[in-house]
Amino acid sequence: MLWIALHLPLLSLESFAATLASPAAAADAERALALVDAHRIVAANATAQALGVKAGLKRATALALAPQLVLGRADRARDLRALEPVAHAALAYTPMVVVPPAEDPEAAPHTVLLEVAASLRCFGGRAKLLQRLQAAVAPLGHRLHVALAPTAQGAALLARAQPRMQCLDLPALAVALDAVPVWLLGPGREHWDALQGMGLRNLADLRSLPRAGLARRFGDALLLELDRAFGTEPDPREPIGLPPAFESRLELFARVDSAEQLLHGAGVLLDRLVLWLAAQHAVLRRCTLEMQHETRWRRSSDTPRATCLELALAEPSRDRAHLLALLRERLGRLALPAPTLDLVLRADDIVRRAAPNAELFPTAQGGHEGLVQLVERLQARLGPEHVQRLEPVEDHRPEHACRTASAAPVDAPSERTTTLGLPAAKGKPAAPKPRRSKKAVAATAASAAMDPQKRRAPEPPPRRGAAPRPVWLLPEPQPLPERRSRPLLDGEPLHLVSGPERIEAGWWDAALAERDYFIAQAADGALVWIYRARLPLSAPEDAQGWFLQGRFG
Amino acid sequence: MDALSPAVPRLSRGPVRSSIRARPPRPAPESLHPTLWLGHQLGRTREQALPSGFAALDRELPGGGWPRRALSELLLPHAGVGEIRLLAASLVALQRAGRLVMLFDPPAALSAWALGGLGIAVDQLLVVDTRSRPGHDGLWAFEQALKSGQVGAALAWLPSRVPHERVRRLQLAAQHHDGPAFVLRERAAVERPTAAPLRLALKPRGADLLEIRLLKRRGPPLEHGLLLELPPVLTASARQRAIAVRHAPALQPATFVDLGAPLDERLAA
Repeated sequence: MLWIALHLPLLSLESFAATLASPAAAADAERALALVDAHRIVAANATAQALGVKAGLKRATALALAPQLVLGRADRARDLRALEPVAHAALAYTPMVVVPPAEDPEAAPHTVLLEVAASLRCFGGRAKLLQRLQAAVAPLGHRLHVALAPTAQGAALLARAQPRMQCLDLPALAVALDAVPVWLLGPGREHWDALQGMGLRNLADLRSLPRAGLARRFGDALLLELDRAFGTEPDPREPIGLPPAFESRLELFARVDSAEQLLHGAGVLLDRLVLWLAAQHAVLRRCTLEMQHETRWRRSSDTPRATCLELALAEPSRDRAHLLALLRERLGRLALPAPTLDLVLRADDIVRRAAPNAELFPTAQGGHEGLVQLVERLQARLGPEHVQRLEPVEDHRPEHACRTASAAPVDAPSERTTTLGLPAAKGKPAAPKPRRSKKAVAATAASAAMDPQKRRAPEPPPRRGAAPRPVWLLPEPQPLPERRSRPLLDGEPLHLVSGPERIEAGWWDAALAERDYFIAQAADGALVWIYRARLPLSAPEDAQGWFLQGRFG
Repeated sequence: MDALSPAVPRLSRGPVRSSIRARPPRPAPESLHPTLWLGHQLGRTREQALPSGFAALDRELPGGGWPRRALSELLLPHAGVGEIRLLAASLVALQRAGRLVMLFDPPAALSAWALGGLGIAVDQLLVVDTRSRPGHDGLWAFEQALKSGQVGAALAWLPSRVPHERVRRLQLAAQHHDGPAFVLRERAAVERPTAAPLRLALKPRGADLLEIRLLKRRGPPLEHGLLLELPPVLTASARQRAIAVRHAPALQPATFVDLGAPLDERLAA
């Protein structure tokens, strides 16, 4: 057995700092923060301590010492919510993750224990595993004390007393534990004064006493904990499980109006979501960010209580930077009806799949994912209707012959591959080795042929002998003035060089077009596409005559 | 002799004297490094340029085609002078390689049939249209596409007055972009400097003919314009007519008979 203990000494302060939700506070770490419980300071950060604020002071005293002090209420539930992602991060390395209760029954636990003996080989040894673990927890921004010991209780005690201590066997652990102060023991807490009065400072002092006497004075629980820490008694632990659904809440310290501030809070929640996803090898397809508004500040009674922002991904991902960029664009466009007090992030739809292979060289698959992310980013900011693809329609009228569609119907989760109308991943001929790229082309071409779900827009058939069409079409045909029955463009006469091509269509949908189309040459030599309306003389004046329909680009 | 050239290192004992006499000629600068070139030569890049499909143009473009990882600026008097037909060959080549083509803020609606006729696959084409939105989102979107490095070719129609710094920013972003990036601007921009290393002015010169002036390139200035024959829109006979019309303005009225006019007016004509 080999246990790693992650102790978070400043968890309650850090979980409070996360709720401040202002980027300025995040950048300015030197702000004086303190937590209050029952009008007494229970914790203060380094800046506050430098000003003389310390645990046990009265609230008024602390404020007199440091008027700029930001005071928050100690909140056990908030600390628990902040500890959860740390445990989830640990779950990615071993199933045996334990969150032991705090030695103070009033406080939230601050320690996560992992049993890693079975995982060492998989992750490349102790040092590598510790490195990866710390890197996984790093985005949460907690201060970490790490210790390694053969017993769970021993590791927990060491992490609090002597961080960065690594004991690989029981004798070494016994030596290290002997120096641990007695007040770290859970059951000994109420006897702390008595123990001090007896001159018992550390565990070595306790162990030198006769066991029967100790048990009579301080109870069996103290002895049991000692024995478990030193490995002489078995220490069964119950591992935590991963919650099947993700929902995390962040109660903001102050009302928040701006997208920037919201984004800070959302980033904290996203960190938790990403760790939860990583623990079960899943990727996110859809999530919802719910912004709950303060009731008092709602403008009218019909203002909603909460605004929901749904984030749907075309390509499932758990890339924090990408998700945050999407949220930033979406929040930037959102108009909030009232200030926000609570943020809730829910994962609505996840996909469990193996982690993608890391790539050494740029590959077609990586390029395709980058493309999907680009389109998502553009759509998040501009709106899906502004990123379009073209679809040819079989119609002779030029204004009906082409349709634009939004590029990504992301609501269709049944389609496994892209529905963007983007090119399916193909080999890049610019790859460093031509032999590789050829192989890639063959492989993806084969997969494309085998994949019946791959939907491609109908390719416009090359129309041999058909009349040419201009690339640019004016949104509205532009009426052209005439001089001696000849159309003028920009005051210069147009020369008809080809035509007429008669188009008569649309009697079925009340947009009848009866036109004679000509290709004309403008004065500067450019080719334009014009038509003459073939309407009865009874038609209104502005519907008759020559019109400019398009330009040959 | 030896005293005069003490800086020559003495490499071997035997042929020292002869090596000093026949001092090796100074290597040409362009042979030292692939990005070095002299002022009278055409510029070179490390990147393989993308052939434009027009041999006459490729000869004059540094690297032999449209540059990758750099902006190419095309100045047009108005939309519809043949700019899409000029670029079509290179865009088709990119699409054949599985790359995506993105258009930003095109000046008018695009015809899918016309693009298909030029060989451009519309399912590998995305159009980002921000003209109806306030602000400079088009430039932002273009920059994002360049920075992502996953787009094959990007074409942007810039609004009329773009600050020089924005273009410079785009040029920096284009360095991440593995493919050509075209910026299409109006003719008036010729007065203002540009950060793009390549700048071309396009001018129609008759039916299916396009004149290109290279205003800026990495290399010596090109005095004369290039006349390119674009993929034809007109049939051969229509083309003859167009040329005749252009060169013989006196014949203009005879080429057109107004069928809709009353008979006596037609006779008078």
